[in-house]
Amino acid sequence: MSTIVYSLKNVVKERVVENVGFRLQVPSIEIHAEENIALVGHSGCGKSTLMDMFALILHPDESDSFEINPADGKLDDIDRLWQRKQRDRLSQIRRQHIGYVMQSGGLLSYLTVRENIELPRRLLKLPNDDSIDSISRVLGIHRQLDKLPGLLSAGERQRVVFARALSHRPTILLADEPTAALDPITARKIMAVVMELIKGLKITLITASHDWAHVYKMDLRILKQEAGPIENGRIYQSTFRD
Amino acid sequence: MSQVGNVFRLSFRDYTHEWRMSGCFVFSLASVLAPMMILFGLKFGIVSSMVYELVENPVNREIRPIGSGRYDQQWIEKYRSRGEVEFIIPKTRALAASIQLKSETAKIILSTELMATAEQDPLLANLSKTPENIYQIVLSQSAAKKLNISRGDQVDASLARQFKGKRERVHLKLEVIDIADASVANRSVAFVHLDLLIATEHFKDGRSVPELGWGGDAVDAESRSYPSFRMYARSIYDVENLVKDLEDQGVRVKTKAVEITTVQSIDRNLSIIFWIIACVGAAGFAFSLGASLWANVDRKKKDLSILRLVGFKGGRIVLFPVMQSFYTAILGWLLAVLVYLVFEQLINRYLAPRLNLDQTLCYLISEHFFWALGLTVTTAIFAAIMGGMRAANIDPSDGLRDI
Repeated sequence: MSTIVYSLKNVVKERVVENVGFRLQVPSIEIHAEENIALVGHSGCGKSTLMDMFALILHPDESDSFEINPADGKLDDIDRLWQRKQRDRLSQIRRQHIGYVMQSGGLLSYLTVRENIELPRRLLKLPNDDSIDSISRVLGIHRQLDKLPGLLSAGERQRVVFARALSHRPTILLADEPTAALDPITARKIMAVVMELIKGLKITLITASHDWAHVYKMDLRILKQEAGPIENGRIYQSTFRD
Repeated sequence: MSQVGNVFRLSFRDYTHEWRMSGCFVFSLASVLAPMMILFGLKFGIVSSMVYELVENPVNREIRPIGSGRYDQQWIEKYRSRGEVEFIIPKTRALAASIQLKSETAKIILSTELMATAEQDPLLANLSKTPENIYQIVLSQSAAKKLNISRGDQVDASLARQFKGKRERVHLKLEVIDIADASVANRSVAFVHLDLLIATEHFKDGRSVPELGWGGDAVDAESRSYPSFRMYARSIYDVENLVKDLEDQGVRVKTKAVEITTVQSIDRNLSIIFWIIACVGAAGFAFSLGASLWANVDRKKKDLSILRLVGFKGGRIVLFPVMQSFYTAILGWLLAVLVYLVFEQLINRYLAPRLNLDQTLCYLISEHFFWALGLTVTTAIFAAIMGGMRAANIDPSDGLRDI
């Protein structure tokens, strides 16, 4: 059996204002290395919230266990890191092992495309090799490398975000509705390239989507999701499980 | 490159990329700071030159002995070497301290009071020359006018005495090396080298002055003493101490105590007013700068969250707005100083003469510029740290989403 990268038990995140709100519940999820996972569900069901917790940029309110083991051997108790405010360790895990693609945006407008892609590598003090050029070529943005992101189309920008998320060779790629802001044709094109790209990279992919995921049904394990009102309709609860 | 190095680089890149916005911040900082500096400059210029005049006027710093005593050279030297004493010079007997002056351009013979002077005499502070020997004198304006002479002219000085039943008169050619300001004395006074004053006294006492070829009895070998002196404290704040000290030695003195108290209270009150304005202005400036920079960090929340997302540590992220605020502080301060200097010149050159003020109207010392810089930088960095800490302490997720 391969390594378990994410292990979540009874993780809860609530966004409640005056007893009305949203509650995300994860009874149990285990994600293995190099698995390709899809969170599928309508918008507002807590996909982004769960993705952010996977990305270690949002703390869970309650959890019995929230562990991450991005590379062989080093297992971290994320819940404890949050509780002890050991944010430097959290950012270290993000820096080394996680690439994150948001729905839109997320590029630094004052850096060129190349510098944006380079940023994670610089932070890790990785050597300058041809990896940026090659990844850009695969993603079809190698002619845009010296431009500022503001001059790119939405589709090109999203490709750049993917390039940045992958440039430092992370073991985990998180993509939260990465193509939601694009037209369906561009979306499928980009995802086809990305899916092809990560095949050779030994990456655990977790992606949230509501449209194209079915295209890759064969390649993706879809987490079960159910949702509905509880507590007399005051709380809308969404549950994800294996 | 280290994380810190990366943050420096990124903050600078962002700052220059957003040059319009950065420019606005710099301008808005300067537009608050520059008028405040001009206000300070005016306040400081007017107040300090007024106070300076009151405090520096030697008349207010003079300590005059009442009656006559016996002060020898040693005693004089002792006081001359004290820090609180700016100037001290002995006086000879008042009755012997006069001389008759005559010029070629006026018909009168003017009986003139002699006053010893030396370098650093506060009464003659505006003059470039002081009498260096017996033959040089400085005349009060009143004396110069009556004798109808000006700087560089020669006057004939003469002294008369009754010696052994005979009336004697000696003459001496003196060079008028300068004329004192009208404010120094409104009577006829000749400021001379102490040696001339002593020679005059000797002659009138019937003693000989070999240097000038004046006959008479030999001068006693005993060390000479003077009946009085002219003393100026270094500042009006030193007067009280010196008076106490002199009175302890039994020297009764007269000072401008009332005037000094007045000047001191004016000085104090104006300083209080100055500081109230300074503090209120500085506080207002600090708040306006702080608020705008703090708001700027809020605007940058998303960018800062992206940096945290790719793995920058929260603590390093604070440096990002701090560095940008630092750039703004430095540039804004520079611009404000520039604007201030232009206005300072305009005010002093064009406005001051129109108001018939010969004093400098607007003025700041270099210390003030550094205070302004310190205040600006401290406030800017403090505001940025406050804002940055907030940005660093929220979950990056909360800063990432567009609403």
